[in-house]
Amino acid sequence: MKKFLALLMAVVMIAALCACGAQQTGAAATAAPTAAPESNVKLQILCEQDDSMLNTYSLLAVNPKAPFKDADGKAVSGVAINTAGAAALINWLLSADTEKLAAGYGQDKYGQQLFYLLDKAPVSTAAIPAPTDATKTIRLSTTTSVNDSGLLDYLLPQFEDKYGYKVEVTAAGTGKAIANAECGNADLILVHAKTQEEAFVTAGYSYVLDGFESERLSFLYNYFVLCGPANDPAGVKKAASVKDAFKLIADGKYPFVSRGDKSGTHTKEVTLWPAELGITTDADSVANYTAWYIYSNAGMGACLTMANEKGAYILSDKATFLTFVANNGVTTS
Amino acid sequence: MFSGSALLENILAVTFRMSLASSLIALLLGVPLGILYGSRAFPGRRALVVINRTLMGLPPVVCGLLCYLMFCGVGPLRGLQLLYTVKGMVIAQILLITPIVAGMMESGVSAIAPDIRETALGLGFGGWKRLLLLVNESAYQIVTTYLLGLSRALAEVGAVSMVGGAIAYKTNVMTTAIMNYTNMGNFVTALALGIILFALSLLINIAVSILQGRLAK
Repeated sequence: MKKFLALLMAVVMIAALCACGAQQTGAAATAAPTAAPESNVKLQILCEQDDSMLNTYSLLAVNPKAPFKDADGKAVSGVAINTAGAAALINWLLSADTEKLAAGYGQDKYGQQLFYLLDKAPVSTAAIPAPTDATKTIRLSTTTSVNDSGLLDYLLPQFEDKYGYKVEVTAAGTGKAIANAECGNADLILVHAKTQEEAFVTAGYSYVLDGFESERLSFLYNYFVLCGPANDPAGVKKAASVKDAFKLIADGKYPFVSRGDKSGTHTKEVTLWPAELGITTDADSVANYTAWYIYSNAGMGACLTMANEKGAYILSDKATFLTFVANNGVTTS
Repeated sequence: MFSGSALLENILAVTFRMSLASSLIALLLGVPLGILYGSRAFPGRRALVVINRTLMGLPPVVCGLLCYLMFCGVGPLRGLQLLYTVKGMVIAQILLITPIVAGMMESGVSAIAPDIRETALGLGFGGWKRLLLLVNESAYQIVTTYLLGLSRALAEVGAVSMVGGAIAYKTNVMTTAIMNYTNMGNFVTALALGIILFALSLLINIAVSILQGRLAK
């Protein structure tokens, strides 16, 4: 009996090792099957220079004296926010060198720029202080669109190695990222939904850092793009403008994957549908369209995977989509 | 195996740290509890059994949500700074696993308790010694219960992702990593991680099965 068990154990271990080892050699084989569905998703570049598709990323530092409320709505005091760490990270991200790095991200790998620097982006020359035990851990709450494009994985290790801070990144849709900050779980946020950011500021959750003029520090932008299947059943490529394209999809009831999570992308997407459909970020507003409108409540990478599988249309930020295409249907993290 | 093996090592290390810690603490808490109320009758025992069994079925995400609300930046326990840490994940898992351990011990012990009581009376054992005798007799049950607790800890994803946040190099465990890779479309890596998790579970169970064979002799 014991011998049999030992043999079984050995067999299982060998099988597992082979399965894992086969990853390397099978990588080429698996690239082929992923390449086949990958060719389903085709980038539709409509009105790239159209301001209605502009996607601006902003940094906001969380105000330690904000009116934090707990789950019952009662005021809470003594919420711990690492203001020194957040200021250090913001100053570094907005320094001339880092802004150049961010703008150059992806150019070698993907052949195009994923993020552009705003003309009026604030530039910081402040010195970055050394971390202390209390200020070492910085909590950054950001969106899946930023995270899935790989920008933070590229930038943050350089910050951590140079200064010794540790940045903890939690990624969720913009709505959830902001809600996280309002619960005191983040020291700064990097999001891309102007109306939600302004509401965040108005409610008092952000403040103006030394050396800057506003709470919303917008520094990078890129564009949203409407993507869809190669055969383009809705004929979106021939549309005159982005809003016409959305009308074509709605009229023909072609499958469309929506983020459905009140994120920046979702917020932008609901503004592009014809007004008479009454589509908003609430799930109730699309109750009549569930045959073709997929309210998925998932991150950018997950929704792209979904759209890829279903051959559906989707609004994505360009950076994540390019990453998705270049990595054969996989976003980086 | 795949690029970022430092990441994989970290994921494995955090997974084991968390699962071993939570299952062992749940064992230390749950076994005495289960034995104590399984071996004697007292008013309210039936109610306690019902509550225990309900807690056994507590959905992990609900437990995760409660812990999140307690530990988050505006929660009542925010001073402990447990959100997005391994300690917080361990606590959430202890809350989930202890009822399971206690419940299984209770059902195992209540079956043999009357006989053990007679034996103890015959041997002249008092309270503490009788309890020790019970523990000795239920050794097999304890080991099986521990394995159940450990598997539950390894396989758990809802509570640990809410409380831990799946932060890279800090609170990313195998199950949350599998979820992240799947969401990114990286099915190959997710599947590889799943196979590793399954193989490790199998190895642990085989090893303990041999141990139990020895115990039974």
